[in-house]
Amino acid sequence: MGRIARWLIGTALVAGPTLAQAQELTVWDWKSGDPVAANYFAAAKTAFEAAHPGVTVNFVMQPHDQYYTLLGTALGSESGPDVMLLHGGAQATSRAAALKPLNDMTEGLAGVADFTADGNAIALPLTIQGFVVYYNKALYEAAGLDPDAPPRTWDELKSVCEAFKTQGEVPCFAMGNKEGFGGDFFLSVLAADMFTPEQQAQMAAGDLPWTDPALRTIVETWVQTSQDGWYPEGANAMAKFMDEYETFMRGEAANTIGLLSDVAHWKQFEEFLGPDALGVYLHPAPGGEPRLPVSGGIGYAVNANSANADLAAELVKVLSAPEQAAIFAVDTGALPANTAVDTSALSSPTLTTILGMLDGPTAPLAHAVMAPTVMEEWHRQSQLLLNGETTVDDALARMEEIRQQAKSN
Amino acid sequence: MARRVIGQAERRFAALVLLPAAGLLLVFRIVPLIWGFVLSFTNSDGLGQADWVGLANYRGVVTDQAFRDSLVNTVLVLATLPIWILLPMLLALLIHQGVPGGRFFRAVYFLPAVLSSVIVGSIFNVVLRFDGSLNAALKAIGLSPVDWLGNGGTALASLVAVHLWSTFGMSVLIFLAGLSTINQEMLEAAKLDGAKFWARLRFIVIPTLRPIIEFVAVVTTIGLLTGMFGLIYVLTAGGPGTSTTLPEFLIWLEQGKLNRPGYAAAISAVLFALMAGVAWAQVRIMSRNAEL
Repeated sequence: MGRIARWLIGTALVAGPTLAQAQELTVWDWKSGDPVAANYFAAAKTAFEAAHPGVTVNFVMQPHDQYYTLLGTALGSESGPDVMLLHGGAQATSRAAALKPLNDMTEGLAGVADFTADGNAIALPLTIQGFVVYYNKALYEAAGLDPDAPPRTWDELKSVCEAFKTQGEVPCFAMGNKEGFGGDFFLSVLAADMFTPEQQAQMAAGDLPWTDPALRTIVETWVQTSQDGWYPEGANAMAKFMDEYETFMRGEAANTIGLLSDVAHWKQFEEFLGPDALGVYLHPAPGGEPRLPVSGGIGYAVNANSANADLAAELVKVLSAPEQAAIFAVDTGALPANTAVDTSALSSPTLTTILGMLDGPTAPLAHAVMAPTVMEEWHRQSQLLLNGETTVDDALARMEEIRQQAKSN
Repeated sequence: MARRVIGQAERRFAALVLLPAAGLLLVFRIVPLIWGFVLSFTNSDGLGQADWVGLANYRGVVTDQAFRDSLVNTVLVLATLPIWILLPMLLALLIHQGVPGGRFFRAVYFLPAVLSSVIVGSIFNVVLRFDGSLNAALKAIGLSPVDWLGNGGTALASLVAVHLWSTFGMSVLIFLAGLSTINQEMLEAAKLDGAKFWARLRFIVIPTLRPIIEFVAVVTTIGLLTGMFGLIYVLTAGGPGTSTTLPEFLIWLEQGKLNRPGYAAAISAVLFALMAGVAWAQVRIMSRNAEL
C-alpha cells in the first residue's frame, strides 16, 4: 500500500466518527451578508456554538426579492433550512403548516401576535415594524411652515401639503408605487387611525368587505391626495425601495412614509439629512385619531421537518435573546421586539419621539394581514387609481371580488 | 432492402447512443411537464399536503381578469411583428447597398444583443423614468414629459421598444447573410433591362429573402413570447395595473409571490396549449423552407 493510500485511510478513520458526531444547523435569511448586521450574526453564532459544542451554525443569505419563492420551494419538498427568518403577518402565518410551534418561548417579546397562527406562536420576533411620517425640517422652513410643529390632524396635514404646492419647489410626499408598496403603506397608515378594533379584527380574518365606508374613504383619499398634487409625477414608475427614499434623502420631497426598522428608518435618514433636520410624526387621517401602525417586524422560525428541530429552537432562542438583539438594534437602528433589550446606546431626537409613540395608542398593519392575492390586486388597483385609469367604484368592486375569492379558497 | 443492411448489433448500438439523450429528455423535459400538468389539478400551495381539485384551477384561469389581460397584452406585443421584420430588413438593405460606415453600423446594431435583459432594463430605467433623460430631452425642446413606464397607455409600448432596441441587431445580421445569397448576375441583368431600385426590390430581392423573412418572423415571435421577463421584472413589475403583465410574468407571480403553484401550473398548461398552436405553424413554415 502506498503512502498516500495509507494516509487517506488514516484520515478517513479519524474523520469518520467526527463527521458522524458533527451537527450542522442551517439558517436562511436575507440579512447575514449585510456588513451592518455582521456583529449580530457573529455574536449569535459564537454564543450558540459555545453552549453546544460540536454544533456548527451556517447562515445562508438569500436574495430578498426571491426569498419566499426559494423558501416555498424548499419547504414544499420537505427540505429547507433548520431555521428561517420571516416577515410578520401573512408571510409567516401562511407558512404555519411547515413551522414548529414555539409557544413556551415568547415571554418578554412584543409583536408575537403577528407570528401567531391557530393559537400557536410560529416564530420569535427580533424587531418590531411600523410606519411613521419622516419630514425634512429645512424644507418645512423654506415653505414657511414651523419645522417644530408637524401636523397632528388631517386638516393640518392638508394645509401643510397645500403650502408645498403653493411654493412649487418640492412635492409634499415622496412616492414610489412601482410595486404597489406606496398603496400598501398609505392603506396601513390611514387604517390605523380610522379602523375600530372590530374592523381591524375583520381585516385580519379577511372578513372586512371593501364596501365598508372606512375602506372607501381610504381609497377615495388615495385618489384625492393624488389629484391635490401631494405626490411627484411618475410615482408608478418609481421603486419605493430605495428610489422613493433616495428622493427624500436628497431633499427632493418634504415628507415620506417610512419604517421603524431595517431600512428607510430614522437612522438612515439622520445619516443623510443630519439629526437636527429630521422630524417624525404620526400620519393623520380624515376623521380619525392618529395611532402608530406597528406589528412584529422580522422573526426566526423553526422548520417542523428539521431533523434537529429542538436544537434549532434553542438557536432561535439565542438569536432573539436580549444580548444578541441589543447588538442588532444598536448596529442597525432597528427597534427590538425583546423588551429587555438595553437601547440606551441609541440616542437621537427622532428615536426619542418614536419611542414615545410606542407608549401611545397603536394599531396593527392593515396591509400586512391581507391575503396575498388581495394584496397583489390592491397593488394593481392603487396604480390604476393613481393614473386615473379606473374609478373608486370600479376599484372597490374589483377588490371585493378578489377578497371573496380569497376567502372561499 | 435497406432494412437488411442494418443488423441487430447496429440497432442495439444506435439505441445505446440515443439512450443518454433520450434519458435526459425524459428526466428534465417530459417528467416535469407531466408533473406540472398533474400539479395543475391540485390546490398545491408549495407547503404540506395538496388536494385534488379537479378542473377548479382551469375554471379560475378562464375567469381570471389578470390572465385575460396578459393574453390581450401578448396579442398587442405580437401585433408589432411587422416592425420587427421591416426595420432590420431596411437597415440591412442600406448596409448591403454600401452606405458609408456600413461595417460600423453593423457592429453597433449588434452590440446591444450581447447585453443581458437586466442590464438593458437598468439602463432604460434611467432613460425612461419620469425624471429620466428622455423626458429631460423632451423638456429641453419644449415638449411636455411623459410617464413612459408608469402610464397604462405607454408602458407596454415602451417595453416593446426597449426589447426591439436590444435585439434587432441579430435580425440585421440574419438579413445581411440572406442578402449576400442574392444572385448578383440577375440583379445586373435586371439593371441592364432598365429595372429601377423598387422594381428590383420587389421582384428579385424580396422573393429571394422570403425564407429569411419567415425565419426572422419565427425567431422573433419566440423571442417576444419568452424573452421579455427580464425587462418586465426590472422596468415595470407588470404594472401599472396589469398593463405590462405577460403570461410568463403572471405564472412567476402566482407561483412564488402568491404561493399558488397549483394555479400557476394551470396557467402554464393553458399557455402550453396556446403555444403549441404557434409552434405547429412555425414547424410548418420551417419545413416548407427546408425544401427550397
